[in-house]
Amino acid sequence: MVGKSQNVGLNLDYMQQSAGFSLSHQWLTDFDPTSTRTNAYLIGILNTLRLIVVGIVLATLLGTIMGVARLSSNWLVSTIATVYIEVIRNTPLLIQLFFWYFAVFLKLPEILDGPSAFDTFFLSNRGFVLPSFTTGGLAWLFGLLLVAGAVAGLYVRHRQQKIEDATGIPSHQNLYGLATFLGIGLVAFVATGLPLGSDFADIVVSDTGVARYEGGLVVTPEFTAVMVALVLYTGSFIAEIVRGSIQALPKGQTEAAMAIGLSQYQRMTLVILPQALRTIIPPLTNQYLNLTKNSSLAVTVAYADLVFVGTLINNKAGQPVPMFLVILATYMAMNYTISVFMNYMNSRVQLVGR
Amino acid sequence: MADARPIDGRPFGKRARSWTHDNLFSSRFNSGLTVVTVAILGAGLFAATRFIVSSADWEVIEVNRRLITLGRLPAEDGWRMWPPLYFAAATAGWAFGMWGKLSRRDLVWLVAAMAFMFLVLVEGANALRFAGVPALFAGAYVATAYGLRDSRYDFIGRQVGIAAAVVVIPLAVITIGQFGGPPTRLWGGIMLNIMIASIAIVFSIPLGILLALGRAGSLKTVKYACIGFIEFVRAGPLIVWLFIGRFVAPDFLPESLSDIDLVLRAMLVFTLFTAAYIAEIVRGGLQSVPPGQVEAAKAVGLGSVATTVYIVLPQALRAVIPALVSQLISLWKDTTLVTVIGVFDGLRAAEATLTQPGFTDNASEVFLFMALAFWVGSFSMSRLSMRLERNIGIGER
Repeated sequence: MVGKSQNVGLNLDYMQQSAGFSLSHQWLTDFDPTSTRTNAYLIGILNTLRLIVVGIVLATLLGTIMGVARLSSNWLVSTIATVYIEVIRNTPLLIQLFFWYFAVFLKLPEILDGPSAFDTFFLSNRGFVLPSFTTGGLAWLFGLLLVAGAVAGLYVRHRQQKIEDATGIPSHQNLYGLATFLGIGLVAFVATGLPLGSDFADIVVSDTGVARYEGGLVVTPEFTAVMVALVLYTGSFIAEIVRGSIQALPKGQTEAAMAIGLSQYQRMTLVILPQALRTIIPPLTNQYLNLTKNSSLAVTVAYADLVFVGTLINNKAGQPVPMFLVILATYMAMNYTISVFMNYMNSRVQLVGR
Repeated sequence: MADARPIDGRPFGKRARSWTHDNLFSSRFNSGLTVVTVAILGAGLFAATRFIVSSADWEVIEVNRRLITLGRLPAEDGWRMWPPLYFAAATAGWAFGMWGKLSRRDLVWLVAAMAFMFLVLVEGANALRFAGVPALFAGAYVATAYGLRDSRYDFIGRQVGIAAAVVVIPLAVITIGQFGGPPTRLWGGIMLNIMIASIAIVFSIPLGILLALGRAGSLKTVKYACIGFIEFVRAGPLIVWLFIGRFVAPDFLPESLSDIDLVLRAMLVFTLFTAAYIAEIVRGGLQSVPPGQVEAAKAVGLGSVATTVYIVLPQALRAVIPALVSQLISLWKDTTLVTVIGVFDGLRAAEATLTQPGFTDNASEVFLFMALAFWVGSFSMSRLSMRLERNIGIGER
């Protein structure tokens, strides 16, 4: 049993002490036990954000495909989609996560027995390894310039689109936008003195015969397991939302699209989905919030997300009240950001075509 | 529905060919899709069949039936599971007989679920005891569907059904925990998941309704207190609330309560957490009741309490039954999260079997089995909710 902690106050000074624990290395972060607890917590937030951002994108893709597939006129495809939805939606996420982690990803072969390709891609029970890059010198400036380039590219695309809308002459808006982005990127890369280098992974065997990966981007089995579980689970709920919204559209929309000779794919992407989006977005926002909260299940497989790091700090410092208030505040901030963004998207969609 | 389709008199071969054409090869795109899916599905089914038939070793489940279902419950208390199970079976049969009608599909599902439970729960002497479950269900169903229902005693039958449904869970808690029963810290296994979900359901629904009424009411203090509670609870993930129940609660509870055991604290967390979500669902229902209803109630002289209880709430709750049931399904699935604070629930027990000598390689079998066990519960609930919606005609106004 946990005894009464000494201090129930809201003093956060202890966050400045050195952490005293190590975190498994994640891509592009550095951490050792002498770093401060604040540092550790920030890495936790970053790790949670990795899950959320990638998870939301993949779950939306999977959910849309499965929602459309469930309505397919192809019996086999719609049955598979139905089975996927009914099985995954009605099974606890934690059991699915344990299955992927303990029964799939940890059961992959050892490092030395795992499959590899071109000596740069590796797969084993220690993770999935991809080539990465090293940063140096003015890399931060290059990053900033890349963002600026993306903004400029979007602006150019927007302007070309306006010209096309006004004149009806094809203005290749995507091509122009991409060219602007790549041009600025290339100039920035040279101007900042080539700040990125390639970083290929290697298998290193120590004198004691222990093998490990060196370099490259190692996608840990913990990350992969949490990601697969979250995406499959959230995708099944999104699929039901997509299906419901499509079914709620008047049949005349499909028939009219057929009448003007659109293909099945064009009907879906140009007529049906854009309209369904109006009723999809509000419940979809809820699913994104659920995914955010469910990402905390990562703690059960020791993926260093913000709850995991928070409990580690709590174990060391023994001041649960301020720590858990910080964790709650972090989730509130993330939920709020998602809600604001999705409300903005919602208002955009509602205006279209009215 | 399948029954509404006109009868096709053509010979089977012709029908099969036209079905295949319409559903699998209606266009070039569809034919391609079918071929690709068959290839992928074939590979998947082959691997799955090979796993289930030859490489899977289900001994780990067979040996650990008791650990997974009851955890570390003392052996002499095993009998306490049967009376609640019998009572629940009889109540379910009674309710089906009084209100519903078992279709052939329901029957297939029931038999399958019973067979599954038989395989999981039953060993040796328990086989006879288990036979009581389907027997009581069938007995109650026959007695009500072919006797009480639509008879002179129809009304009494319905009242008895409602009363039985209300006492199922309290009775289970009393039979298991009282009269010298084991303390909650010895409860475990899937039984504990069921008990946590049941207790959270019993307490969170009224609490959620009260919170929703408070939020919709005119008392400013109460209103903002309710909003604060609901939004604060909904902001955090359940895991964080469970950790708070584990680590923070001892600091705030009075000394005498600070070491109430983890199981009770988990039940409290689940109750409060679910209540916040139910409050939001009920709020939606309250907003869907037309204001004319309240005005009409006032016009006939009902007080504000009577208006709420007899006019507003019945309509509001009826409108949100689907959302309410899906919240309860998530509650059922979420009970597995107690694993993280060290409570010995079904999933914890399943994990524990993997540390036993000889079973360390059986993770697939164990987690697939647990997934199936929880799936049976959620899927039954979701189907039951769809029946309920059809029976009381939600969405047909």
